[in-house]
This record gives sequence, structure tokens and C-alpha cells, in this order.
Amino acid sequence: MDEDRFRLLVQGVLDYGIFMLDPSGHIASWNAGAERIKGYTPGEIIGRHFSVFYPPEDIAAGKPGRELEIAVAEGRLEDEGWRIRKDGSRFWANVVITALVDEQGVLQGFGKVTRDVTERRAAQEELRRSEEHFRLLVHGVLDYGIFMLDPAGHISSWNAGAERIKGYSADEIIGQHFSVFYPPDDVTAGKPAWELETAVAAGRLEDEGWRIRKDGTRFWANVVITPLFDEHGKLRGFGKVTRDMTERRGAERALRERRRLVGHLVDAQEVERRRIAWDVHDESIQSMVAVGMRLQLLAGRVPEEHHDAVTALDDAVGTAVARLRSLVSRLRPPELDQQGLVEAVAGYLEEVSAQWGLTAQLHHELTVEPSPEAAITLYRICQEALSNIHKHARATRVDVRLSTVDKGMLLRVTDDGVGTTAGATDPGHGHFGLIEMRERAEAAHGWWSLSSTAGAGTTIECWLPTLPDEDR
Amino acid sequence: MIRDVLKEVLETEPDIEVVAVAADAEEAIRLAGQVRPAVAVLDIRMPGGGARAAREIAVRFPGTAILAFSAYTDRLAMAELRTAGVSEYLAKGVPNTQIVDTVRRLGRLSPGEPAC
Repeated sequence: MDEDRFRLLVQGVLDYGIFMLDPSGHIASWNAGAERIKGYTPGEIIGRHFSVFYPPEDIAAGKPGRELEIAVAEGRLEDEGWRIRKDGSRFWANVVITALVDEQGVLQGFGKVTRDVTERRAAQEELRRSEEHFRLLVHGVLDYGIFMLDPAGHISSWNAGAERIKGYSADEIIGQHFSVFYPPDDVTAGKPAWELETAVAAGRLEDEGWRIRKDGTRFWANVVITPLFDEHGKLRGFGKVTRDMTERRGAERALRERRRLVGHLVDAQEVERRRIAWDVHDESIQSMVAVGMRLQLLAGRVPEEHHDAVTALDDAVGTAVARLRSLVSRLRPPELDQQGLVEAVAGYLEEVSAQWGLTAQLHHELTVEPSPEAAITLYRICQEALSNIHKHARATRVDVRLSTVDKGMLLRVTDDGVGTTAGATDPGHGHFGLIEMRERAEAAHGWWSLSSTAGAGTTIECWLPTLPDEDR
Repeated sequence: MIRDVLKEVLETEPDIEVVAVAADAEEAIRLAGQVRPAVAVLDIRMPGGGARAAREIAVRFPGTAILAFSAYTDRLAMAELRTAGVSEYLAKGVPNTQIVDTVRRLGRLSPGEPAC
């Protein structure tokens, strides 16, 4: 009865192929699991030799016979490998062969348990591959030094980026304490240990500062230290990611310095323009007005035949005075100092639209009056933009818009001219007016951009912050 | 320079007499008090401040009409001159005839001596 029930159990198991071989390896029994895994019905397989399950290369190597020999010799054999289904497809099998010996020690046959572990194997393979990829990724990254520290701060792994940045090879550095990267004063101050403690307490630490390469030179590093805990919450070490910011820091400083210089240049230029404007206004124009008045007096006194010549002289002086006044206004628009940006731009638009035959419109939505510096910058960019339109755009309409946007002022100058390709992609090339506009905007911590479609006009935009951020 | 030629322009006219010429705002106010001209022509950029001189003369000697002579032509400058008590305003560079006509017109309206 028990034996019957046991037989039923074995017969019914689906996840394991469980069957018997006779002493020579011919199949003597077959269960549902074996049928499911290998595809044969009991009628098809019973009586055949079990080597039918092995790939040809295993058969050629005599593997089936050898497995039985080992099972006899050791009582049991476990193997993993490829096996063949009835339909010829392969599966990855875990196989246990047990020698069945009677009380007299005579071999009666073999019990064979086979499991299809193809999926498990694929999953393991996948995991192994992804771990390998990840390892290769970390190892190969050149821009970041990525390495591990043990809980006490000794280096336990090293990648190509760390080698490139710090100059040590893995052999030289693994096992050393990470404080070797810190300048002596930082080490004296206990900074390395403090950083690990802070990383543990806060879950992460980020720092920027000087670090030391193998050759003793310094670099400006951005460092992130992350504590690594196991599933029980025990500290297993630290991950450390280091970036060499020296170049970027240098580039930022150079850019800041350049903006500062351009800023000084722009200021100096404005001071000089204002001085010239005063000089022209107070000296040259006054003198020429006096000359004009005197010529008019003279015209009344000279003999009739010279009257026209003197009047013509007076007219020439009058024209020169008008030109000088226009020059003064361009050099330093009096409205800008006295009435603010909008009036100054309005005055300028009025003057040039008449002179250049443009229909100009000014929309203004400024809610904050710009600082004198921002006002002169916006005015100059507007002036330059209009001068470009006059020279190149062949436009008939210009819209100038001033608005308060994003804690700053936005100037937009749009024309309906032929459009331009200058400066759109390469502002550093050739067009001085465009470069100057951009530099002025950037010196004031703002931005400038030009967009243009051939035949459909050009738009220039310039934004300046209301409060210039000096440290940016 | 303009002051000298302006004096000459006005003196050329038979019906206009230049009764005094001032070098700065102080002198202009003092002379206006002494000679009480019908018209005072002031350069807004004169030393000591033309606007200040205009204000003082307008308050202290209401019989004197004030003609301001300035290089500025913007609205703000004009508004400032009006509040300072200036009767008329001319931009530098206008023809002499316009200056003479304006002085003559202001002088006819004014009870004081026609002068500059």
C-alpha cells in the first residue's frame, strides 16, 4: 500500500523528471515530470538507452557511460549540463544519478532525477553579465575617480578615472588610507576622519577642495562620500567619487575675469563718451553757435554781392551744429540721465525712424526702473540693434519691447527685414556689433540672443538681472 | 563768446539797447536790480546757474521779462525753465532774427527798460 502511494507520488511529480535505468543504462520507468521536461511518453522511451538525452559531443566523449561508472563507484553523481529534448531542442539540466544496490551488493540499476534549470541558469547568467558590465563601467570611467574605502578609510578598490586623476595605480594605492589624498593641513585638522563621520551621520558628504596627486601637485576636487551599509545596517565601507574640477574652476575664473574686464571697459567707455559729449556740448557747439550768429551779423554788413556766400557759410555752420548735437545725443543721451530708459529709447527711436524711414514702435511694460548701469547697457544694445537693422536688414518696421521678466529686464527688438545668418551660430565670427552686444549683456550678468529667418526678419533679445549678482 | 556776439546782435537793432552785461548769475541778479531791464536774456549754462538767476530775478523784479537761451531742447529742460519763471525760451542756434524778434516782443509787454 505504502509502496503504491509512493509510486503515485513519484508518477505525479511535474517539476522533476524521476525515472529508473537498468544496470546497463536502459530506461526502465518514466514519470509525468520526465515527460514534461523531455517530451517523450513512457511508451516512446522505456527500453531505450539514456544516452539519447545527451548531446552528440557528450556521447562522442563517452560521458553517459562514465557518469554511470562514477555513480557506481561513489554511489551518487551530480552534474549540470546541456541535454536534448525529443524535439531536438536543448535545455540546461541538473541531474542526480543514484546507484541502486540490493542487500547483497549487486547493482540493480540507477535512479535518475533531472531538473530543467534553463531559466535559473539564464537569470544567473544575466545577473553575472550585468554585474560584469557594471564593474567594467565603473572600472573604465575616466572622468570620475570611483573607488571604495573600508569602514576605517582604507582604499579597497580603484578605477581608471581615479588612476588618471590621482596618478596612483591600483597596486600602489589599495590598502593605503585615503588621507594620503589630503593636504597636510587638512590631515592635521582631522578632515578625512571628520568627512567619514559626517557621511555616516548624514548619509552622504559632498566637499570641494584641494587634493594631492601622487606627484605632489594639487588639484581642485569635487568629492562625494557615500556610506555603504549591509542589510543588517552594519557599515561595510564607503563609496567615494572624485572629480577633478581644476580645469573647470580655471575656466570659470577666466570667464569671471573676462567679464570683469569687459565690465570695466564698458564703464570706461561710457565715462569717456560722457566726457566727450560734455566737451562737444560745452565747447564746440557753443563756439559754432557764436560763429553762426556772427556770420548772420556779417551777412547784413557785407556788400550785397557777398551776402549769399556768407549766408551759405552760416547754413553750413547750422548743419554742423545739428550734427554735433546728434553726436552728443548718441554719445550720451541726456534723456537717459534725466528721464530714464523708456524716454531715452523713445527719443532715439523717434530720431532714427524719421532719419532712416522706418516705422518704429515702442511697447513698454517695465515695472521697475533699471539701474543706471543696466539702463545704459540696454540703451546701447538697442542702439546697436537699430543701427544693424538700418545697415543690413532692409526693414520697414521695427518693434522694440521692454518688459520686466524673471527678476530682470527683457529687451526685444524685432524687424521685418531680410534676416541674417551672421552671429546666429557663431557669434564669435566676424560681426563686431553682435559680439559687442553679447559682451555687454554678459558683462552685466545677463544674456543676449539673436534669432533670424531668411526673408522673415530678425529678433534680438537681451535680458539683464535687476540686481547684478557680482559673485556668479 | 556767445555773450559778446549776442550783445552785438542786439545793439545792432536801433530800438534795442543793451544796458548791462553780466558774467555770472550773481552779477546778473545784482545788475537786474540796479538797471531794472525790460528783458533779461540768460544763458541757462551761465556760471552760477542760469535757472537760479532766472528764479531770483523773476521773484525779486517781476517787471523784468526773462528770455532763456539754452542748448537743451528736451521737454524736461523746458519744464524746469518754466517753473523757474522764464517767460520765453530759445534754443541756441536759432537765427539772430528770431532772437531779436523775441526780445522786442517781450520788451513791448514789459514795463522795464529794454535791455539784456
